[in-house]
Amino acid sequence: YLHVALLFWQQVILCHCTLDDLRVDGRSCEDYRYVEVETDVVSNTSGSARVKLGHTDILVGIKAEIGRPKLDRPNKGCLEFFVDCSANATPEFEGRGGEELGTEIANALYRVYDNERSVDLKSLCITPMEHCWILYTDVLLLQCDGNLFDAISLAIKAALLTPSKIPKVQMMEDEEGTTEIELSDDPFDCVRLNTENVPCIVTLCKIGQRHVVDATLQEKACSVASLLVSVTSKGTITCVRKIGGGSLDPESIYEMIETGKRVGKALHAPLQDILNKEESLGKSREKVGFIG
Amino acid sequence: MPVDTKRLRGPEESQSPWLFVEQEQQSPPDEREDGRRKGQVDVRPIFARCGLVSQAKGSAYIESGKTKVICSVYGPRETERKDETDMKFGRLVCTFRFAPFSCAKRCGWIQSTQEKDLSMALLGSLHPGLCLHRYPRSQIDVSVLVLENDGSALAHAVTCASLALADAGIEMYDLVLGCSLRQEGSDYLLDPTFAEETQEPATESTENRGGMMVALLPSLNQVSGLLCSGDLEQQPLVEAVAACIEGCQRIYSVAQRCLLTAVKKKNPPPDG
Amino acid sequence: MLRRPQRASKLHQRVMNTNSLTQAPWHQTTVEPLEYHRKFLKENCRPDGRELGEFRTTTLNIGSITTADGSALVKLGNTTIICGIKGELAAPPADAPDKGYIVPNVDLPPLCSSRFRPGPPGEQAQAASQFIADVIENSEMLQREDLCIEKGKLSWVLYCDIICLDYDGNILDACIIALLASMKNVQLPEVHVNEQTGLAEVNMKKKRHLNIVKHPVAASFAVFDNSILIVDPTSDEENLSTGFITVVIDEEEKLCTVHKPGGTPLSNEKLQDCINRAITRNKEVCKLLNKVMKSMKAK
Repeated sequence: YLHVALLFWQQVILCHCTLDDLRVDGRSCEDYRYVEVETDVVSNTSGSARVKLGHTDILVGIKAEIGRPKLDRPNKGCLEFFVDCSANATPEFEGRGGEELGTEIANALYRVYDNERSVDLKSLCITPMEHCWILYTDVLLLQCDGNLFDAISLAIKAALLTPSKIPKVQMMEDEEGTTEIELSDDPFDCVRLNTENVPCIVTLCKIGQRHVVDATLQEKACSVASLLVSVTSKGTITCVRKIGGGSLDPESIYEMIETGKRVGKALHAPLQDILNKEESLGKSREKVGFIG
Repeated sequence: MPVDTKRLRGPEESQSPWLFVEQEQQSPPDEREDGRRKGQVDVRPIFARCGLVSQAKGSAYIESGKTKVICSVYGPRETERKDETDMKFGRLVCTFRFAPFSCAKRCGWIQSTQEKDLSMALLGSLHPGLCLHRYPRSQIDVSVLVLENDGSALAHAVTCASLALADAGIEMYDLVLGCSLRQEGSDYLLDPTFAEETQEPATESTENRGGMMVALLPSLNQVSGLLCSGDLEQQPLVEAVAACIEGCQRIYSVAQRCLLTAVKKKNPPPDG
Repeated sequence: MLRRPQRASKLHQRVMNTNSLTQAPWHQTTVEPLEYHRKFLKENCRPDGRELGEFRTTTLNIGSITTADGSALVKLGNTTIICGIKGELAAPPADAPDKGYIVPNVDLPPLCSSRFRPGPPGEQAQAASQFIADVIENSEMLQREDLCIEKGKLSWVLYCDIICLDYDGNILDACIIALLASMKNVQLPEVHVNEQTGLAEVNMKKKRHLNIVKHPVAASFAVFDNSILIVDPTSDEENLSTGFITVVIDEEEKLCTVHKPGGTPLSNEKLQDCINRAITRNKEVCKLLNKVMKSMKAK
């Protein structure tokens, strides 16, 4: 999808440098770029977050709505993902250009998040077989500079961790038999999702003999294939996926899984700290927002 | 659900009778139903045949246990879209579909997100095995249809598709073989059946549960596809990948024999 | 006059010899296909060795898909069709509370031929689906009342999904045979509606077959050069023909459907020829179906 053409000699230099654990921008193979996380940027959603990872800019908004549960999971809620590759990000996304990439990302997100182990779906159930909360998650790609999955996963986790405004409801049946929804009067009486197990995604790109975390577009152009590893805070791996059109030998895969697990596990604690700090600031924190 | 205006429609909503059957709570059996062993590299016997679709350039059919998969390959033909990469490399287009009657619960006709996801996984697995630089400005269409799904549908689809590509005479570096696995606690079940794939855990807190599919180029020992989801620790995950790789190596000889038969049939040796 | 087929190999051989053909040369079949076919038709036979009234070899395999309630695979020469029937439960239609639904759908995926593109069903698939629906209704092979479980509350929906795996002409005939065979193979479980809860209770251990009263069989013809009728056209012959007609007859020699989508007009005698040939075809197919079903029971 996103192609950056590098001259052959540029690719060779990049590969050689990675061997010495030194990348073009001075990072080591396991370093992330500078990350900025901001929550509650979109006011009429149940949870939102904006993540800037280097030049990659992602906005996630989660809206909770009442709907019917899926037939094969009658007592659980579900998540629905929509990924929009905005034409603002790169001219290649104009019209239907970004659709393929959007579908690929959405499919991967379903696999990673829409299951019982990652998100506590049982708590989203209101009445089994009849009503449940559906979390419509919209992901907007504002700017692409490689490593989309990691940024998106950080944004989703941040959006879910913030005090979500999912109110507590009760279904009442009146005399005519129609069900009515009763919301509690207290605006702070909401359902807080148990997000202990929500994983973070780490994408590892194989460049030459080694692999790197958080690849830029240039580094991606030199890589043969990438491995996407999704890790929870406990260190369990919830999803592994090979992306890209190349192949990997088994030894590399084992090494990449190990690095992915190590790096992924270490991501959760700092993210939680940042979000706790934001929450404690409450109303007094400055919103950076979009302009300024 | 988008309304399908081009097909004959029945009632607005219908439900499978399986939803109304009394579900007996069964704990997962100690032994596998078909007699294979847990924790051992035991794949189901495979029946494979090439060249059964007369209209296609290449085709293959695989039957493994009750899973039945058919694949046709058309191409190389002129590509519809042309961008920079197409000028140097061929384009591979994969479509993966379940027939509506292939699973216990009827699937609709419109391609679901799961089928799109599996199509992409199939594409990623086959891509490294083909010499696409030999077919610039061309497109190769691979269509896979699962006639009956009794587990490991994607893995068998990968094997079937690569046999069909070889039957079509597309240049390849190596066959691509697929194998899947289901991890339950400390045991793994190689080449799971549908019942084993969807088994509910014995207890809520069973650790290490997950399913995985690995696509391998056997003689080059390169993994071209890896798709895993579940809740696994690192060590069992690594062991599971190794078990899948061995499973792929086991079916290599069957695949080679099938291709040899197909080639001999197409080009019978001269008499005398 | 279309007769019951006799071995046409002698005629076929003569045509090949007269034209010094040992094998169909490429330029004949690709550059001048019409001329090539005409040479054979002059001698009352066809390029693949068949007579004008001869069907291709028909093979039938029933019940191979275990996830479907009934299934059948039909091969008519190279044309391969698979039909899978799944039964689901639904509320009966508002205008017919004592009837169930039968929903046929024909799919011509890009798998079966390079002429089909991925996406929603094209004209040919839609026309075939409608044709099958018409045959089911006109022939009354199955009473829709049989599918009702409880009047006004619950009935069966039979989704008949027909997929073409290899397209070499004459899919309509093959689809009808596949549908008929899989209908005979269908076994539906017993269902009661629990009066207290209003929910259905399904007993998978007790299953029974459908009550198929009529056995319609189709015979399709292509019109060549506005005059010659050939039965069971292959894909090449279909492309060169000027008209089509499909006649569906049941085992009591009653006419169920005549499907003639435009094309060359046919005289009464030609139509009567088609009907007669269809009657004999019905006997052939019913014999084959009974043979296959008997061999299945024997297993």
